[in-house]
Amino acid sequence: MKQFEHHDALSIEEAVALLSDYEGKAKIIAGGTDLLGALRDEVFLEYPEALINIKTIDGLDYIRSDEKGLAIGAMAGLADIVKSPVVKKEYQMLAEAAYSVATPQIRNMATIGGNLAQDVRCWFYRYPRRIGGPMVCLRKGGKFCSALAGDNRYHSIFGAAALSDISLDLGKVRKGCFAVGPSDIAVALIAMDASIVTTKRSLPAELFFKATALSSTVLDSDELVKEIEIPKLPMGAVQRYDKFTLRKPIDFAVVSVASMLTLNNGVCEDARIVLGAVAPEPVRARKAEQVMKGRIVDEDVALEAAEHALAGSSPLRMNEYKVEIAKVLVKHAIWG
Amino acid sequence: MTANKSDRVTRETAATRHVGFTVNGQYHEFRVGSGGIEISPTHTLSWTLREVLGLMGTKVSCDSGACGSCTVIMDGKAVLSCKVLTIECDGKTITTIEGLRDPKTGALDPIQQSFIDHTAFQCGYCTPGMIMTAKAFLNENPQPTEEEIKDALSGNFCRCISHYQVIRAVMSVVEKEGEHGR
Repeated sequence: MKQFEHHDALSIEEAVALLSDYEGKAKIIAGGTDLLGALRDEVFLEYPEALINIKTIDGLDYIRSDEKGLAIGAMAGLADIVKSPVVKKEYQMLAEAAYSVATPQIRNMATIGGNLAQDVRCWFYRYPRRIGGPMVCLRKGGKFCSALAGDNRYHSIFGAAALSDISLDLGKVRKGCFAVGPSDIAVALIAMDASIVTTKRSLPAELFFKATALSSTVLDSDELVKEIEIPKLPMGAVQRYDKFTLRKPIDFAVVSVASMLTLNNGVCEDARIVLGAVAPEPVRARKAEQVMKGRIVDEDVALEAAEHALAGSSPLRMNEYKVEIAKVLVKHAIWG
Repeated sequence: MTANKSDRVTRETAATRHVGFTVNGQYHEFRVGSGGIEISPTHTLSWTLREVLGLMGTKVSCDSGACGSCTVIMDGKAVLSCKVLTIECDGKTITTIEGLRDPKTGALDPIQQSFIDHTAFQCGYCTPGMIMTAKAFLNENPQPTEEEIKDALSGNFCRCISHYQVIRAVMSVVEKEGEHGR
């Protein structure tokens, strides 16, 4: 790895102060499982000048539940979330999503805040610089997304993330970045209508993920995730999480789906269905949710909803299969 | 008055920073810097273990956190030493494959012995990682089912397909422990 400075922050305030001192040229390190790989392969457009370690901040790894719901500190480990009795009992979807991440060792190291703030896994973007130089994709100052010309089997089926408003002299830009949002936990959090509390604001999980060709979240360069709040789930809520991968451990999702259906005598009162790894951000399948409301949930409704969920998709040359996988996952999420 | 950047940075560099941690029962302390025996902020734990402490038992295969070869036990948990910065190990207790042997009698750990008895390796490169992962797991759950063992070892990859023998080796330790318990 190339040199960087290293600071142990002892409080959130200190971490934020250090971030603003470095004016966007420092990165937060939590579990490090994503960041250290990106540093080793030198994938960032600008190599960071410093890392700010937040493992040295006490008391950020809590998992607390009360009558309002669940509060999880940003530094709570994925393995601890998987094992937490209250998560397993009342918020199974989150336990399943956390369990579906990577491998046991990585879950021992990775944190929930880091999972939400992780960088995309696109294989053009992540291509190691030391092997023949970097792939200059749109995220690295290139003129177009490499996935348009290359192997795009794992890329977005719902279009590209526009280049952000940062003014780079890029000439004519073709579309945007087709990398998909990598977080499994994001999908579950949006289905449960969670809020994400940062050092600057609290916002619904759905609005936290805002993809541009330079970033995947709304986080400013001097902002970090502090807490995740999940409201108590409604009575009768049926939670499901499913993730399609080629290998069970280590792989990122080809498609993931999280759903929360509120049923009353078999009639759907409310539905939240979220698709992951199909677009630059997690996608709420709002039309699918709408067609289910007020109807008795059966296989036909599930099939209809699955069609609606993928209605607006526009697959690339090599990823049409993801549309079919997503339909099957949505159907399973609704009707077993 | 809030400290500005130069204050904060001076505070860290003026007082020379040290990192101290215990490996296999022995305490090591390093100065942070770029000299020969100093720890650079960019050093990973796997690098320090192998290149500084000479503990070559910890293997680095993918160096990307995907294969499990470099697994060591840190504060009781199996972690990937290629994805840990040494500078962040201050105060930690680390066990590597070299630390499993009984320090007094020299006897191998039952898991090590069982890997030998079941020939649970071919080239052996992934084996230390397999054993360290199994060790951390059995410390936490001494009587697991076969499914639980498979799950615990799902982050350790072997290109020689030793997995079947590995599962048998770990199961055998569990069964023997169970007999002792009775």
